[in-house]
Amino acid sequence: MNRYTPERAPVVSLRHLSCDYYSLRLGPWNRVAQCRPGQFVHVGLPRCDVYFRRAMSIAGVDVARKELEIIFKIFGKGTKALSRLRKGDVLDLLGPLGVPFQPPRKTETCVLVGGGVGFPPLYFLASWLIERGFDPKRIEFFYGGRTSGEIVERSRIKSLGVRFHPVTDDGSFGAKGLVIEAVETYLAEHALKRPRLYACGPGGMLKAADDLALRLAIPGQVSLEAPMPCGFGVCLGCVVPLRAGGHARVCREGPVFEIGEVLL
Amino acid sequence: MTPNLRVTIAGVELANPIMTASGCCGYGEELAEAFPLSKLGALVTKSITLKPRLGHKPPRTAETASGMLNAIGLANVGIDQFIAEKIPFLEKQKTRVIVNVAGSSAAEYIEVCSRLNDCPRVDMIELNISCPNVDEGGIEFGINPSMTERIVADVRRVFKRPLIAKLTPNVTDITVIARAAEAGGADALSLINTLIGTSIDINTWRPRLTNNRGGLSGPAIKPVALAMVDKVYNCTRLPIIGIGGIATANDVVEFLLVGATAVQIGTALFIEPDAPVKITRDLTAYLKAKKLGSVRELVGKVRKY
Repeated sequence: MNRYTPERAPVVSLRHLSCDYYSLRLGPWNRVAQCRPGQFVHVGLPRCDVYFRRAMSIAGVDVARKELEIIFKIFGKGTKALSRLRKGDVLDLLGPLGVPFQPPRKTETCVLVGGGVGFPPLYFLASWLIERGFDPKRIEFFYGGRTSGEIVERSRIKSLGVRFHPVTDDGSFGAKGLVIEAVETYLAEHALKRPRLYACGPGGMLKAADDLALRLAIPGQVSLEAPMPCGFGVCLGCVVPLRAGGHARVCREGPVFEIGEVLL
Repeated sequence: MTPNLRVTIAGVELANPIMTASGCCGYGEELAEAFPLSKLGALVTKSITLKPRLGHKPPRTAETASGMLNAIGLANVGIDQFIAEKIPFLEKQKTRVIVNVAGSSAAEYIEVCSRLNDCPRVDMIELNISCPNVDEGGIEFGINPSMTERIVADVRRVFKRPLIAKLTPNVTDITVIARAAEAGGADALSLINTLIGTSIDINTWRPRLTNNRGGLSGPAIKPVALAMVDKVYNCTRLPIIGIGGIATANDVVEFLLVGATAVQIGTALFIEPDAPVKITRDLTAYLKAKKLGSVRELVGKVRKY
Protein backbone atom coordinates (compact mmCIF):
# COMPACT_ATOMS: atom_id res chain seq x y z
CA MET A 1 0.00 0.00 0.00
CA ASN A 2 1.66 3.17 -1.23
CA ARG A 3 0.69 6.39 0.50
CA TYR A 4 1.86 8.49 -2.45
CA THR A 5 -0.70 7.07 -4.87
CA PRO A 6 -4.39 8.02 -4.85
CA GLU A 7 -6.74 5.56 -3.15
CA ARG A 8 -10.54 5.70 -3.33
CA ALA A 9 -12.51 6.76 -0.26
CA PRO A 10 -16.32 6.79 -0.43
CA VAL A 11 -18.28 9.28 1.68
CA VAL A 12 -19.92 7.57 4.68
CA SER A 13 -21.53 10.70 6.10
CA LEU A 14 -21.34 14.46 6.15
CA ARG A 15 -22.56 16.13 9.32
CA HIS A 16 -23.05 19.86 9.83
CA LEU A 17 -21.68 20.83 13.25
CA SER A 18 -22.23 24.58 13.66
CA CYS A 19 -21.35 27.82 11.90
CA ASP A 20 -19.36 26.69 8.86
CA TYR A 21 -17.99 23.54 10.49
CA TYR A 22 -18.59 20.03 9.15
CA SER A 23 -17.54 16.50 10.01
CA LEU A 24 -16.86 14.24 7.04
CA ARG A 25 -16.50 10.49 7.47
CA LEU A 26 -14.84 8.54 4.67
CA GLY A 27 -14.42 4.83 4.21
CA PRO A 28 -13.70 2.09 3.76
CA TRP A 29 -10.21 3.44 3.09
CA ASN A 30 -7.42 0.91 3.10
CA ARG A 31 -4.82 3.02 4.83
CA VAL A 32 -6.74 3.99 7.97
CA ALA A 33 -4.59 1.80 10.20
CA GLN A 34 -1.46 3.71 9.14
CA CYS A 35 -2.84 7.11 10.20
CA ARG A 36 -1.21 8.83 13.18
CA PRO A 37 -2.28 12.04 14.96
CA GLY A 38 -0.79 15.09 13.25
CA GLN A 39 -0.78 13.52 9.80
CA PHE A 40 -3.01 14.64 6.95
CA VAL A 41 -4.65 13.29 3.85
CA HIS A 42 -4.55 15.07 0.49
CA VAL A 43 -8.12 15.06 -0.72
CA GLY A 44 -8.92 14.89 -4.42
CA LEU A 45 -12.32 16.43 -5.10
CA PRO A 46 -14.80 14.96 -7.51
CA ARG A 47 -15.29 16.72 -10.83
CA CYS A 48 -15.71 20.39 -10.04
CA ASP A 49 -13.74 23.56 -10.69
CA VAL A 50 -11.28 22.81 -7.89
CA TYR A 51 -7.91 21.89 -9.41
CA PHE A 52 -5.60 21.13 -6.48
CA ARG A 53 -6.12 18.52 -3.85
CA ARG A 54 -6.93 19.86 -0.38
CA ALA A 55 -4.76 18.97 2.60
CA MET A 56 -6.97 17.99 5.56
CA SER A 57 -5.74 16.96 8.98
CA ILE A 58 -7.13 13.72 10.30
CA ALA A 59 -9.59 14.15 13.19
CA GLY A 60 -9.94 10.49 14.00
CA VAL A 61 -9.97 6.93 12.68
CA ASP A 62 -12.11 3.87 13.21
CA VAL A 63 -9.69 1.10 12.32
CA ALA A 64 -12.29 -1.69 12.57
CA ARG A 65 -14.58 0.03 10.05
CA LYS A 66 -11.67 1.41 8.01
CA GLU A 67 -13.13 4.90 8.37
CA LEU A 68 -11.48 8.24 8.90
CA GLU A 69 -12.93 11.55 9.98
CA ILE A 70 -12.08 15.03 8.74
CA ILE A 71 -13.46 18.12 10.46
CA PHE A 72 -13.31 21.25 8.33
CA LYS A 73 -14.60 24.78 8.11
CA ILE A 74 -15.73 26.39 4.86
CA PHE A 75 -13.03 28.84 3.78
CA GLY A 76 -13.09 28.77 -0.01
CA LYS A 77 -14.31 26.80 -2.97
CA GLY A 78 -12.51 23.58 -2.01
CA THR A 79 -14.10 23.34 1.41
CA LYS A 80 -17.37 24.58 -0.09
CA ALA A 81 -17.27 21.62 -2.49
CA LEU A 82 -16.53 19.29 0.44
CA SER A 83 -19.59 20.65 2.26
CA ARG A 84 -21.79 19.59 -0.68
CA LEU A 85 -20.74 15.96 -0.72
CA ARG A 86 -23.32 13.25 -0.31
CA LYS A 87 -23.19 9.72 0.99
CA GLY A 88 -21.91 7.53 -1.81
CA ASP A 89 -19.78 10.22 -3.49
CA VAL A 90 -16.24 8.97 -3.93
CA LEU A 91 -13.11 10.99 -3.19
CA ASP A 92 -9.57 9.83 -3.70
CA LEU A 93 -6.93 10.42 -1.08
CA LEU A 94 -3.15 10.51 -0.94
CA GLY A 95 -1.78 9.71 2.45
CA PRO A 96 -1.47 9.51 5.31
CA LEU A 97 1.14 12.23 4.72
CA GLY A 98 3.50 14.26 6.86
CA VAL A 99 5.25 13.74 10.15
CA PRO A 100 2.93 12.87 13.09
CA PHE A 101 3.06 14.31 16.60
CA GLN A 102 5.73 12.86 18.85
CA PRO A 103 3.69 11.16 21.64
CA PRO A 104 4.39 12.31 25.23
CA ARG A 105 6.21 10.18 27.77
CA LYS A 106 3.93 8.44 30.28
CA THR A 107 5.08 10.80 33.02
CA GLU A 108 4.31 13.98 31.10
CA THR A 109 1.21 16.18 31.06
CA CYS A 110 -0.18 17.08 27.65
CA VAL A 111 -1.19 20.68 27.12
CA LEU A 112 -3.19 20.72 23.91
CA VAL A 113 -3.86 24.15 22.43
CA GLY A 114 -6.27 24.29 19.54
CA GLY A 115 -7.48 27.44 17.82
CA GLY A 116 -10.52 27.34 15.53
CA VAL A 117 -10.16 24.75 12.83
CA GLY A 118 -6.79 23.72 14.34
CA PHE A 119 -8.50 21.53 16.90
CA PRO A 120 -9.10 18.28 14.88
CA PRO A 121 -5.54 16.86 14.96
CA LEU A 122 -5.42 17.57 18.70
CA TYR A 123 -8.70 15.74 19.20
CA PHE A 124 -7.19 12.79 17.30
CA LEU A 125 -4.06 12.98 19.47
CA ALA A 126 -6.07 12.99 22.71
CA SER A 127 -8.30 10.08 21.72
CA TRP A 128 -5.37 8.11 20.30
CA LEU A 129 -3.36 8.53 23.51
CA ILE A 130 -6.30 7.60 25.74
CA GLU A 131 -6.99 4.46 23.68
CA ARG A 132 -3.41 3.48 24.38
CA GLY A 133 -3.77 3.89 28.13
CA PHE A 134 -2.69 7.50 28.66
CA ASP A 135 -4.48 9.00 31.68
CA PRO A 136 -7.09 11.48 30.32
CA LYS A 137 -6.72 13.56 33.48
CA ARG A 138 -3.21 14.37 32.34
CA ILE A 139 -4.50 15.95 29.15
CA GLU A 140 -5.29 19.66 29.45
CA PHE A 141 -7.34 20.45 26.33
CA PHE A 142 -7.46 24.19 25.56
CA TYR A 143 -9.72 25.11 22.66
CA GLY A 144 -10.18 28.67 21.52
CA GLY A 145 -12.67 30.17 19.08
CA ARG A 146 -14.17 33.52 18.26
CA THR A 147 -17.59 32.66 19.62
CA SER A 148 -19.46 29.76 21.19
CA GLY A 149 -20.45 28.32 17.81
CA GLU A 150 -16.79 27.87 16.88
CA ILE A 151 -16.15 25.48 19.77
CA VAL A 152 -17.45 22.39 18.02
CA GLU A 153 -17.77 18.80 19.22
CA ARG A 154 -17.55 19.86 22.88
CA SER A 155 -19.50 16.89 24.17
CA ARG A 156 -17.14 14.53 22.36
CA ILE A 157 -14.14 16.28 23.84
CA LYS A 158 -15.65 16.18 27.33
CA SER A 159 -16.55 12.51 26.98
CA LEU A 160 -12.86 11.71 26.50
CA GLY A 161 -12.50 12.58 30.18
CA VAL A 162 -9.81 15.19 29.54
CA ARG A 163 -9.60 18.51 31.39
CA PHE A 164 -11.43 20.72 28.93
CA HIS A 165 -10.73 24.47 28.81
CA PRO A 166 -12.86 26.25 26.22
CA VAL A 167 -12.01 29.90 25.54
CA THR A 168 -13.86 32.39 23.34
CA ASP A 169 -12.91 35.89 22.24
CA ASP A 170 -16.33 37.21 23.28
CA GLY A 171 -16.81 35.04 26.36
CA SER A 172 -19.95 33.42 24.90
CA PHE A 173 -18.64 30.00 25.92
CA GLY A 174 -15.93 29.13 28.45
CA ALA A 175 -13.38 31.71 29.53
CA LYS A 176 -13.22 35.06 27.77
CA GLY A 177 -10.09 36.13 25.92
CA LEU A 178 -7.37 34.56 23.84
CA VAL A 179 -6.59 30.89 24.24
CA ILE A 180 -2.87 31.47 24.79
CA GLU A 181 -3.58 33.92 27.62
CA ALA A 182 -5.74 31.25 29.22
CA VAL A 183 -2.93 28.70 28.85
CA GLU A 184 -0.39 31.07 30.35
CA THR A 185 -2.61 31.89 33.34
CA TYR A 186 -3.38 28.21 33.90
CA LEU A 187 0.29 27.21 33.78
CA ALA A 188 1.12 29.98 36.27
CA GLU A 189 -1.61 28.86 38.69
CA HIS A 190 -1.12 25.10 38.39
CA ALA A 191 2.12 23.25 38.90
CA LEU A 192 1.66 20.75 36.06
CA LYS A 193 3.89 17.73 36.14
CA ARG A 194 6.31 17.90 33.19
CA PRO A 195 4.07 19.72 30.72
CA ARG A 196 4.43 19.13 26.97
CA LEU A 197 2.68 21.50 24.60
CA TYR A 198 0.94 20.61 21.34
CA ALA A 199 -0.53 23.50 19.37
CA CYS A 200 -2.45 23.82 16.13
CA GLY A 201 -4.35 26.86 14.93
CA PRO A 202 -4.04 30.19 13.15
CA GLY A 203 -0.64 31.82 12.61
CA GLY A 204 -0.91 34.39 15.40
CA MET A 205 -1.96 31.76 17.92
CA LEU A 206 0.85 29.43 16.89
CA LYS A 207 3.42 32.18 17.24
CA ALA A 208 2.11 33.04 20.69
CA ALA A 209 2.17 29.35 21.67
CA ASP A 210 5.70 28.96 20.36
CA ASP A 211 6.86 32.09 22.22
CA LEU A 212 5.21 30.96 25.45
CA ALA A 213 6.74 27.48 25.30
CA LEU A 214 10.19 28.91 24.60
CA ARG A 215 9.84 31.43 27.45
CA LEU A 216 8.73 28.76 29.94
CA ALA A 217 11.14 26.16 28.51
CA ILE A 218 8.30 23.72 27.87
CA PRO A 219 8.99 21.12 25.18
CA GLY A 220 6.43 20.46 22.52
CA GLN A 221 5.35 20.78 18.95
CA VAL A 222 3.28 22.98 16.68
CA SER A 223 1.33 21.82 13.65
CA LEU A 224 1.28 24.18 10.66
CA GLU A 225 -1.05 24.75 7.79
CA ALA A 226 0.05 25.97 4.35
CA PRO A 227 -1.36 26.05 0.83
CA MET A 228 -0.12 22.78 -0.56
CA PRO A 229 -0.29 21.92 -4.26
CA CYS A 230 1.41 18.51 -4.20
CA GLY A 231 1.48 17.43 -0.54
CA PHE A 232 4.39 15.05 -1.00
CA GLY A 233 7.40 17.29 -1.28
CA VAL A 234 8.01 18.05 -4.94
CA CYS A 235 6.41 21.41 -5.71
CA LEU A 236 8.10 23.42 -2.93
CA GLY A 237 5.01 25.59 -2.64
CA CYS A 238 4.40 25.09 1.08
CA VAL A 239 7.80 26.00 2.52
CA VAL A 240 8.27 27.93 5.78
CA PRO A 241 11.44 29.66 6.99
CA LEU A 242 13.40 27.96 9.78
CA ARG A 243 15.07 29.75 12.68
CA ALA A 244 18.31 27.96 11.83
CA GLY A 245 18.07 29.28 8.26
CA GLY A 246 16.73 27.71 5.13
CA HIS A 247 13.27 26.42 4.38
CA ALA A 248 11.30 23.35 5.39
CA ARG A 249 8.39 21.84 3.49
CA VAL A 250 5.24 21.82 5.62
CA CYS A 251 4.04 18.71 3.75
CA ARG A 252 7.20 16.68 4.19
CA GLU A 253 9.34 17.91 7.12
CA GLY A 254 6.06 18.98 8.79
CA PRO A 255 3.24 19.68 9.30
CA VAL A 256 4.41 19.03 12.87
CA PHE A 257 7.52 20.95 13.92
CA GLU A 258 9.38 21.25 17.24
CA ILE A 259 8.78 24.35 19.35
CA GLY A 260 11.23 27.02 18.23
CA GLU A 261 12.09 25.30 14.97
CA VAL A 262 10.07 27.46 12.57
CA LEU A 263 10.30 31.23 12.21
CA LEU A 264 6.62 31.86 12.85
CA MET B 1 1.52 -7.86 -29.81
CA THR B 2 2.51 -5.13 -27.39
CA PRO B 3 3.12 -1.84 -29.20
CA ASN B 4 6.63 -0.44 -29.05
CA LEU B 5 6.87 2.67 -26.89
CA ARG B 6 10.58 3.29 -27.47
CA VAL B 7 11.61 6.65 -28.86
CA THR B 8 14.99 8.20 -29.58
CA ILE B 9 15.96 11.79 -28.84
CA ALA B 10 19.33 12.91 -30.24
CA GLY B 11 20.61 9.34 -30.26
CA VAL B 12 19.48 8.62 -26.69
CA GLU B 13 16.95 5.82 -26.58
CA LEU B 14 14.09 6.15 -24.07
CA ALA B 15 11.91 3.27 -22.86
CA ASN B 16 8.85 5.40 -23.56
CA PRO B 17 8.07 8.99 -24.51
CA ILE B 18 6.97 10.01 -21.00
CA MET B 19 9.30 12.27 -18.99
CA THR B 20 8.73 14.32 -15.88
CA ALA B 21 8.90 18.09 -16.26
CA SER B 22 11.52 20.11 -14.45
CA GLY B 23 10.42 21.62 -11.16
CA CYS B 24 7.64 19.09 -10.68
CA CYS B 25 9.57 16.11 -9.35
CA GLY B 26 12.51 17.52 -7.35
CA TYR B 27 15.49 15.26 -7.93
CA GLY B 28 13.32 12.14 -8.13
CA GLU B 29 13.58 10.96 -4.53
CA GLU B 30 9.97 11.64 -3.54
CA LEU B 31 8.54 10.42 -6.84
CA ALA B 32 10.43 7.12 -6.46
CA GLU B 33 8.19 6.45 -3.45
CA ALA B 34 5.12 6.70 -5.66
CA PHE B 35 6.35 4.41 -8.47
CA PRO B 36 9.62 2.90 -9.75
CA LEU B 37 11.33 5.54 -11.86
CA SER B 38 12.15 2.85 -14.42
CA LYS B 39 8.58 3.40 -15.62
CA LEU B 40 9.67 6.79 -16.99
CA GLY B 41 11.28 7.46 -20.33
CA ALA B 42 13.37 10.04 -18.51
CA LEU B 43 13.47 12.01 -15.29
CA VAL B 44 14.09 15.75 -15.67
CA THR B 45 15.43 17.31 -12.47
CA LYS B 46 14.58 20.63 -10.93
CA SER B 47 16.70 23.48 -12.32
CA ILE B 48 20.23 23.41 -10.94
CA THR B 49 22.17 26.64 -10.49
CA LEU B 50 25.78 27.23 -9.50
CA LYS B 51 24.95 28.27 -5.91
CA PRO B 52 22.10 26.95 -3.76
CA ARG B 53 18.95 29.07 -3.91
CA LEU B 54 16.14 29.34 -1.38
CA GLY B 55 13.74 30.80 -3.92
CA HIS B 56 11.09 33.41 -3.31
CA LYS B 57 9.17 33.98 -0.09
CA PRO B 58 5.91 32.08 0.23
CA PRO B 59 3.19 32.20 -0.94
CA ARG B 60 4.75 31.10 -4.17
CA THR B 61 1.98 29.00 -5.69
CA ALA B 62 -1.67 29.78 -6.39
CA GLU B 63 -4.53 27.75 -7.79
CA THR B 64 -6.22 28.99 -10.96
CA ALA B 65 -8.99 27.72 -13.24
CA SER B 66 -7.69 24.36 -14.48
CA GLY B 67 -4.15 25.14 -13.52
CA MET B 68 -1.76 26.89 -11.21
CA LEU B 69 0.62 29.81 -10.94
CA ASN B 70 4.03 29.37 -9.45
CA ALA B 71 6.92 31.64 -8.65
CA ILE B 72 9.19 29.31 -6.71
CA GLY B 73 12.25 31.25 -7.86
CA LEU B 74 14.54 28.36 -8.82
CA ALA B 75 14.92 27.01 -5.29
CA ASN B 76 17.56 24.28 -5.54
CA VAL B 77 20.53 22.76 -3.74
CA GLY B 78 23.20 24.11 -6.12
CA ILE B 79 25.57 22.10 -8.29
CA ASP B 80 27.97 20.98 -5.50
CA GLN B 81 25.29 19.43 -3.34
CA PHE B 82 23.49 18.09 -6.40
CA ILE B 83 26.58 16.15 -7.47
CA ALA B 84 27.44 15.05 -3.92
CA GLU B 85 23.97 14.03 -2.73
CA LYS B 86 21.54 13.68 -5.61
CA ILE B 87 23.66 12.05 -8.32
CA PRO B 88 24.33 8.96 -6.10
CA PHE B 89 20.55 8.44 -5.85
CA LEU B 90 20.11 8.97 -9.59
CA GLU B 91 22.94 6.48 -10.29
CA LYS B 92 20.67 3.76 -8.94
CA GLN B 93 17.62 4.67 -11.02
CA LYS B 94 16.97 2.71 -14.17
CA THR B 95 15.80 5.61 -16.28
CA ARG B 96 17.39 8.31 -18.40
CA VAL B 97 18.48 11.34 -16.40
CA ILE B 98 18.13 14.83 -17.81
CA VAL B 99 19.46 17.65 -15.64
CA ASN B 100 17.81 21.02 -16.08
CA VAL B 101 20.27 23.91 -15.73
CA ALA B 102 19.54 27.57 -15.05
CA GLY B 103 21.82 30.52 -14.55
CA SER B 104 21.99 34.28 -14.32
CA SER B 105 25.00 34.61 -16.62
CA ALA B 106 26.62 32.71 -19.46
CA ALA B 107 29.54 31.95 -17.15
CA GLU B 108 27.20 30.30 -14.66
CA TYR B 109 25.56 28.09 -17.32
CA ILE B 110 29.00 27.12 -18.64
CA GLU B 111 30.37 26.29 -15.19
CA VAL B 112 27.38 24.14 -14.18
CA CYS B 113 27.24 22.32 -17.52
CA SER B 114 30.95 21.58 -17.57
CA ARG B 115 30.65 20.09 -14.07
CA LEU B 116 27.78 17.92 -15.33
CA ASN B 117 29.85 16.84 -18.31
CA ASP B 118 32.01 14.98 -15.77
CA CYS B 119 28.97 13.06 -14.43
CA PRO B 120 28.45 10.11 -16.81
CA ARG B 121 25.03 9.42 -15.24
CA VAL B 122 23.69 12.62 -16.76
CA ASP B 123 22.35 11.54 -20.15
CA MET B 124 21.31 14.99 -21.33
CA ILE B 125 21.07 18.58 -20.18
CA GLU B 126 17.97 20.67 -20.59
CA LEU B 127 18.88 24.37 -20.66
CA ASN B 128 16.33 26.47 -18.83
CA ILE B 129 16.47 29.72 -20.78
CA SER B 130 12.84 30.36 -20.08
CA CYS B 131 12.15 30.72 -16.33
CA PRO B 132 9.75 33.67 -15.97
CA ASN B 133 10.26 33.98 -12.23
CA VAL B 134 13.72 35.39 -11.66
CA ASP B 135 14.86 38.93 -12.36
CA GLU B 136 18.17 38.14 -13.94
CA GLY B 137 19.07 35.47 -16.47
CA GLY B 138 16.72 32.66 -17.30
CA ILE B 139 14.11 34.07 -19.61
CA GLU B 140 16.37 36.96 -20.58
CA PHE B 141 18.33 34.47 -22.71
CA GLY B 142 15.23 32.78 -24.04
CA ILE B 143 13.38 35.81 -25.42
CA ASN B 144 16.28 37.07 -27.51
CA PRO B 145 17.34 34.98 -30.53
CA SER B 146 20.98 36.07 -30.59
CA MET B 147 21.37 35.44 -26.85
CA THR B 148 19.66 32.07 -27.24
CA GLU B 149 22.04 31.08 -30.00
CA ARG B 150 25.07 32.25 -28.05
CA ILE B 151 24.21 30.54 -24.75
CA VAL B 152 23.44 27.26 -26.50
CA ALA B 153 26.72 27.50 -28.44
CA ASP B 154 28.68 28.31 -25.26
CA VAL B 155 27.26 25.33 -23.40
CA ARG B 156 27.63 23.15 -26.49
CA ARG B 157 31.41 23.56 -26.20
CA VAL B 158 31.61 22.24 -22.62
CA PHE B 159 28.88 19.57 -22.57
CA LYS B 160 29.57 16.69 -24.92
CA ARG B 161 26.26 14.84 -24.70
CA PRO B 162 22.85 15.86 -26.07
CA LEU B 163 21.63 19.31 -25.20
CA ILE B 164 17.97 20.31 -25.04
CA ALA B 165 16.89 23.96 -25.11
CA LYS B 166 13.69 24.61 -23.14
CA LEU B 167 11.75 27.41 -24.78
CA THR B 168 9.45 30.04 -23.36
CA PRO B 169 6.04 30.80 -24.88
CA ASN B 170 6.37 34.42 -23.72
CA VAL B 171 7.67 35.65 -27.08
CA THR B 172 6.19 37.11 -30.23
CA ASP B 173 7.32 34.23 -32.44
CA ILE B 174 8.61 31.04 -30.86
CA THR B 175 9.90 29.73 -34.20
CA VAL B 176 12.55 32.47 -34.28
CA ILE B 177 13.88 31.30 -30.91
CA ALA B 178 13.63 27.64 -31.95
CA ARG B 179 15.76 28.28 -35.04
CA ALA B 180 18.25 30.28 -32.96
CA ALA B 181 18.65 27.35 -30.56
CA GLU B 182 19.12 25.03 -33.53
CA ALA B 183 21.76 27.36 -34.98
CA GLY B 184 23.54 27.39 -31.62
CA GLY B 185 23.83 23.61 -31.74
CA ALA B 186 20.91 22.32 -29.65
CA ASP B 187 20.11 18.64 -30.22
CA ALA B 188 16.46 18.91 -29.18
CA LEU B 189 13.88 21.45 -28.08
CA SER B 190 11.44 21.24 -25.21
CA LEU B 191 8.42 23.50 -25.07
CA ILE B 192 6.63 25.22 -23.54
CA ASN B 193 7.75 26.63 -20.20
CA THR B 194 5.04 28.44 -18.23
CA LEU B 195 3.07 31.44 -19.43
CA ILE B 196 3.47 34.62 -17.41
CA GLY B 197 0.39 35.34 -15.34
CA THR B 198 -0.85 36.60 -12.01
CA SER B 199 -3.83 36.52 -9.66
CA ILE B 200 -5.02 39.13 -7.15
CA ASP B 201 -6.79 38.69 -3.82
CA ILE B 202 -9.73 41.12 -3.93
CA ASN B 203 -9.93 41.34 -0.14
CA THR B 204 -6.31 42.27 0.54
CA TRP B 205 -5.67 43.79 -2.91
CA ARG B 206 -2.43 41.85 -2.97
CA PRO B 207 -1.13 39.49 -5.65
CA ARG B 208 -1.41 35.86 -4.56
CA LEU B 209 2.34 35.44 -5.12
CA THR B 210 5.03 37.45 -3.31
CA ASN B 211 6.82 37.66 -6.65
CA ASN B 212 3.71 39.53 -7.93
CA ARG B 213 3.72 37.40 -11.08
CA GLY B 214 4.32 33.78 -11.82
CA GLY B 215 4.18 31.09 -14.44
CA LEU B 216 0.90 29.50 -15.45
CA SER B 217 0.82 25.72 -15.95
CA GLY B 218 -1.67 22.88 -15.96
CA PRO B 219 -4.51 21.90 -18.33
CA ALA B 220 -5.32 25.60 -18.89
CA ILE B 221 -2.22 26.02 -21.09
CA LYS B 222 -2.46 22.82 -23.15
CA PRO B 223 -4.05 24.39 -26.25
CA VAL B 224 -1.35 27.09 -26.31
CA ALA B 225 1.39 24.49 -25.94
CA LEU B 226 -0.03 22.29 -28.69
CA ALA B 227 -0.20 25.20 -31.14
CA MET B 228 3.39 26.14 -30.35
CA VAL B 229 4.69 22.58 -30.76
CA ASP B 230 2.89 22.48 -34.11
CA LYS B 231 4.53 25.73 -35.24
CA VAL B 232 8.00 24.69 -34.12
CA TYR B 233 7.70 21.22 -35.69
CA ASN B 234 7.18 22.88 -39.03
CA CYS B 235 10.25 25.11 -38.79
CA THR B 236 13.04 22.89 -37.44
CA ARG B 237 14.44 19.39 -37.86
CA LEU B 238 15.17 19.00 -34.17
CA PRO B 239 13.22 16.48 -32.12
CA ILE B 240 10.63 18.17 -29.92
CA ILE B 241 9.65 17.36 -26.36
CA GLY B 242 6.11 18.63 -25.79
CA ILE B 243 5.18 20.19 -22.44
CA GLY B 244 2.05 21.94 -21.21
CA GLY B 245 -0.91 20.66 -19.26
CA ILE B 246 -0.48 16.99 -20.13
CA ALA B 247 -2.46 14.81 -17.73
CA THR B 248 -3.73 11.87 -19.79
CA ALA B 249 -2.64 9.53 -22.59
CA ASN B 250 -5.05 11.36 -24.91
CA ASP B 251 -3.13 14.57 -24.23
CA VAL B 252 0.10 12.76 -25.10
CA VAL B 253 -1.35 11.52 -28.39
CA GLU B 254 -2.32 15.08 -29.33
CA PHE B 255 1.22 16.32 -28.71
CA LEU B 256 2.75 13.46 -30.70
CA LEU B 257 0.38 14.09 -33.60
CA VAL B 258 1.50 17.72 -33.89
CA GLY B 259 5.12 16.67 -33.89
CA ALA B 260 6.46 15.95 -30.42
CA THR B 261 8.70 12.87 -30.14
CA ALA B 262 8.35 12.78 -26.37
CA VAL B 263 6.47 14.71 -23.69
CA GLN B 264 6.91 15.91 -20.13
CA ILE B 265 4.37 15.62 -17.34
CA GLY B 266 4.50 18.49 -14.88
CA THR B 267 1.66 19.94 -12.85
CA ALA B 268 -0.37 16.72 -13.23
CA LEU B 269 2.13 15.05 -10.88
CA PHE B 270 0.87 17.29 -8.09
CA ILE B 271 -2.63 15.89 -8.48
CA GLU B 272 -1.63 12.31 -9.29
CA PRO B 273 1.96 11.43 -8.39
CA ASP B 274 1.69 8.18 -10.35
CA ALA B 275 0.21 9.84 -13.46
CA PRO B 276 3.13 8.71 -15.70
CA VAL B 277 2.35 5.06 -14.95
CA LYS B 278 -1.32 5.45 -15.86
CA ILE B 279 -0.49 7.51 -18.94
CA THR B 280 1.97 4.90 -20.24
CA ARG B 281 -0.56 2.13 -19.68
CA ASP B 282 -3.34 4.06 -21.42
CA LEU B 283 -1.02 5.03 -24.28
CA THR B 284 -0.29 1.35 -24.89
CA ALA B 285 -4.03 0.66 -24.95
CA TYR B 286 -4.57 3.49 -27.45
CA LEU B 287 -1.87 2.15 -29.78
CA LYS B 288 -3.38 -1.35 -29.58
CA ALA B 289 -6.85 -0.04 -30.33
CA LYS B 290 -5.50 1.87 -33.33
CA LYS B 291 -3.49 -1.21 -34.39
CA LEU B 292 -0.22 0.73 -34.36
CA GLY B 293 3.04 -1.14 -33.81
CA SER B 294 5.01 1.84 -32.50
CA VAL B 295 4.36 5.13 -30.81
CA ARG B 296 6.66 6.72 -33.41
CA GLU B 297 3.97 6.21 -36.01
CA LEU B 298 2.03 9.08 -34.41
CA VAL B 299 4.71 11.75 -34.59
CA GLY B 300 3.69 14.65 -36.81
CA LYS B 301 0.77 12.74 -38.31
CA VAL B 302 -1.92 15.31 -37.60
CA ARG B 303 -4.29 15.47 -40.60
CA LYS B 304 -4.59 19.18 -41.11
CA TYR B 305 -7.30 20.96 -43.03
